[in-house]
Amino acid sequence: MIGIDFSQVWGILGQLGEGMGASVMIFALTLLFSMPLGLLVAFGRMSKWAPLHFLEKEETKQPVSLGGRIKAAVLGFKPIQFIVKIFIAILRGTPLMLQLIVVFYGPYYLFGMQLPRSYRFIAVLIGFSVNYAAYFAEIYRSGIESIPVGQYEAAAVLGYSKSQTFRRIIFPQMAKRIVPPVTNEVITLVKDTSLAFVLTYEEMFTIAKQIAAKEASILPLFVAGVFYFIFNFVVAFVMERIEKAMNYYR
Amino acid sequence: MKKYLALFLTMAMSVTMLAGCGGGEQPAQDNVETPADSAERTTFTIGFDAEYPPYGYRTDAGDYEGFDIDLAQEVCNRRGWELIKQPIDWNTKDMELNSGSIDCIWNGFTMTGREDSYTFSEPYVDNSIVFVVLADSDIQTAADLAGKVVVTQADSSALSALESEDNAELTASFATLEQIADYNSAFMNLEAGVDDAIAVDIGVAQYQLQSRGDKFRMLEEPLSTEQYAIGFKQGNTELRDQVQETLDEMLADGTFDEIVANYTDYNLDQMVCLGK
Amino acid sequence: MKVLEINHCNKKFGDNEVLKDISLSVSEGQVVSVIGPSGSGKSTLLRCATLLETMDGGDLVYLGEYAAKADAEGKAVYSDKESLKNIKKNFGLVFQNFNLFPHYSVMRNITEPPILIGKRPKDEVYREARVLLEKMGLSDKEDAYPFQLSGGQQQRVSIARALAMKPKILFFDEPTSALDPELTGEILKVIKDLAAEHMTMVIVTHEMAFARDVSNHIIFMDGGVIIEEGAPQDVINSPQQERTKAFLGRFQQ
Repeated sequence: MIGIDFSQVWGILGQLGEGMGASVMIFALTLLFSMPLGLLVAFGRMSKWAPLHFLEKEETKQPVSLGGRIKAAVLGFKPIQFIVKIFIAILRGTPLMLQLIVVFYGPYYLFGMQLPRSYRFIAVLIGFSVNYAAYFAEIYRSGIESIPVGQYEAAAVLGYSKSQTFRRIIFPQMAKRIVPPVTNEVITLVKDTSLAFVLTYEEMFTIAKQIAAKEASILPLFVAGVFYFIFNFVVAFVMERIEKAMNYYR
Repeated sequence: MKKYLALFLTMAMSVTMLAGCGGGEQPAQDNVETPADSAERTTFTIGFDAEYPPYGYRTDAGDYEGFDIDLAQEVCNRRGWELIKQPIDWNTKDMELNSGSIDCIWNGFTMTGREDSYTFSEPYVDNSIVFVVLADSDIQTAADLAGKVVVTQADSSALSALESEDNAELTASFATLEQIADYNSAFMNLEAGVDDAIAVDIGVAQYQLQSRGDKFRMLEEPLSTEQYAIGFKQGNTELRDQVQETLDEMLADGTFDEIVANYTDYNLDQMVCLGK
Repeated sequence: MKVLEINHCNKKFGDNEVLKDISLSVSEGQVVSVIGPSGSGKSTLLRCATLLETMDGGDLVYLGEYAAKADAEGKAVYSDKESLKNIKKNFGLVFQNFNLFPHYSVMRNITEPPILIGKRPKDEVYREARVLLEKMGLSDKEDAYPFQLSGGQQQRVSIARALAMKPKILFFDEPTSALDPELTGEILKVIKDLAAEHMTMVIVTHEMAFARDVSNHIIFMDGGVIIEEGAPQDVINSPQQERTKAFLGRFQQ
C-alpha cells in the first residue's frame, strides 16, 4: 500500500534542502535581532522611571484612603514600564501568524504604502524578531531578577559603575541561568519558522506544501518533518554544549 | 534611569528603522505602479497559488511552472518585462493585490461572480466545478451527496458556486461543507475517508486524477460552469489592456495554442475559450 | 586627620527611625567595633557609611572630603557622582555573605577591581594579589572558583578582594555570622593580623570577646542611638548604662 519511491525522495530532499537554507536564514537572523532587542525590552520592562514621583510626599507613601491610593498610583506611574508591559502582553497574547500578517499588510492598510517585493522577507524577520524579543525579554528579566542583590552591592562598593556592574557581573551570571528557558524558545523558533508560509515566503514548509501539491503526495510533508527534527537535534546539541561550557562555576 | 530611557529610545528607533526599511524602497515601487509611468514598467509580478497544478506549481528543479505561468512568461517576453512569479496564500490574495506586492492574480482565477471586485481580462478558460469521490464510492450523482461531508478550498470558485442561490438546495443537503486551505490536503482527506467528496475546478480534478491513478473518479454531471480570467486591481485597466493586447497577438499568431498543446493531458485544449 | 567622620546622621525607613543623630569618628589605625542587638541600626549605619544607603540627614566625611554634607535644615546633600567615585576608593567592605563573584576565579575576584577601577598595571596587581593570598593562606586556590571553597576560605578571599583596592579604612559587616562556628576562628585571626598592621577598621560584630581583644574603641548601639562608647575594657567589663549591661548580660550567660 505505502510504496516509497526512493528517486522521488531524493528529488524532494534536494528541493527541501534549498527551503531548509531559507528556514535556517529566518532562524539565524531572528535570533541575531531578537536576542539583543529582547534585552532592551527587558530594560524597559524593569524601568522604574516615574516622572511624577518627585511630587510624592512622605505622607502618601502608606495611603489608607481610596483617594490616597489613587494619588499614590498616579504619582508612582511608570510610563516606560507600562508601555513595555502592554507591548509584551500583545506579542505574547496574539498568534504569531496574525502578527506576521499585520506586519506585512499593515503598511498598506494603515498608511496606503505600496509594498516592494523585498518587503516580504523583511516582514517575516520583523514579525519573528519582535515576537521573540518579547519572549526573550521576560526570560532575561527573570534571569536578572534572580541575581542576589549582594552582587550589585559588592560591585558598587568596589567602585563599579552601573554599566560595568551589568556587563561584567550581572549579565554573565544571567546568561548562565537563562540557558534552559532560552533553549526551549530556540527549539520552538525552529518549528515556528514554518509559519512564514502565511506570507508565502519560500521556506521549507511552504516548499514542502507546494511539492506535495505538485506530486499529489503527502510524502514531502513527512520529509520536511524529518528535516525539522534534524535541525532541532543540532540545535539541542549546540545548546547542551553551551550549557556545559558555562558549568565551570555554580 | 536615564540610561534605561536612552536604551528604550534606541530600541524604539531601531524598530522604526527596521519598519522604515520596508518604506524606504517604496518610491521606486510607486514608479512602477503609477499608470503615468507604466511606459517604464520593467517587471510584471503575477500572484499564483503554487499548490494549484496544472495552472501553477513547483517543478522538481525548484522553479514555478504551469499553464498560466507559461502564458504570463510569453506576455512578458513580448512586452520586454521581467516576469516575477510570486506564490501567494490563496486566503490573502486580495491583500496581496491591494498592497501592490503583486500586479495581478493569474492562476485559474474564476471571474464568474467576482466581476465587480476586480478588473478582469477576457476569459480564457471555460471551467466547470465538478465533484470528485473515491472510485469505489456509491455516490453517482449530486443527489447522492445528501448527508455527506463535502470539502472545497476556502475562498475558491467552487465554494462560491456551492454557496450561490442556484445550488442552495444541494448545499443544504450536505452533512457539512468543509473548507480547506489547499486541494492536496482535500485529496488526502478524501483518501483517508475523512470526507466523502471534493468540489473542485475540473482542471485541478483532472490533474489529480492523472497523478493519483484510479483511486478517484469524477461525477459526470458538473456542478456549474464558469470562466477563468486574469484579475487585476480594481480600476487598473491600463495594465489589463496591455496584457490583453499581447494575449490577443499570441492567439492570432498561434503561440497561444502552442502553449495549450503542452497541457492536453489535462484536457486544457477542450477548455480554452479565448477568442472563441 | 580623621579617616571617617559621621555627624548627626539620621535615617528613616518610612515611619521607622533607624538611626537617630548618630555621630562617630575613626582615626587612622583605629579599630572600632560596633555591637548591639539586632535591629539596633548598626548594620544600617555601616551601609550608610559605605554609600549603600543614603542618609536622610547629617554629614559623611572621608579624610576631610564630604561625601554628604548637611544643609541649613540638617538634610544630607550628597556630592556629585565623580567625587563619590573618588571617595569610594578610600573604603572597602567585607560582607556577611561574602558576595564574591561566582563566575570569576579567586584570582580574578581579587585582581579585576584594581585593574578595571583602580586603573593599575596588571603585573603589579597580580603580584600584590599573590602576596595577599599567601597572607590569607590561600596560595593554592588562585584558580579555584568560589563554589569550590569553604565559607571561611570564601570570606578570606573577600577580605583579600577588599584589601587589593588598598582602602584607607575597611568595614566588616558581621563577617563571621554566616560561618559555621568552627570556621569563625580563621577569620578572626585574619582581622587580628590586620589590626596588628594598624589597618583602620570598623567591625560590626556579635563576637564580644573578639571585639574586646581586637578593638581600641567600642560603640554599643540600641534603638538607633549610641548608648555607650569607650575603651573595650570600660564598655565590656564595666558598662555604665542599664541597656548595655542587659545586652552584655545575655551574652555572658
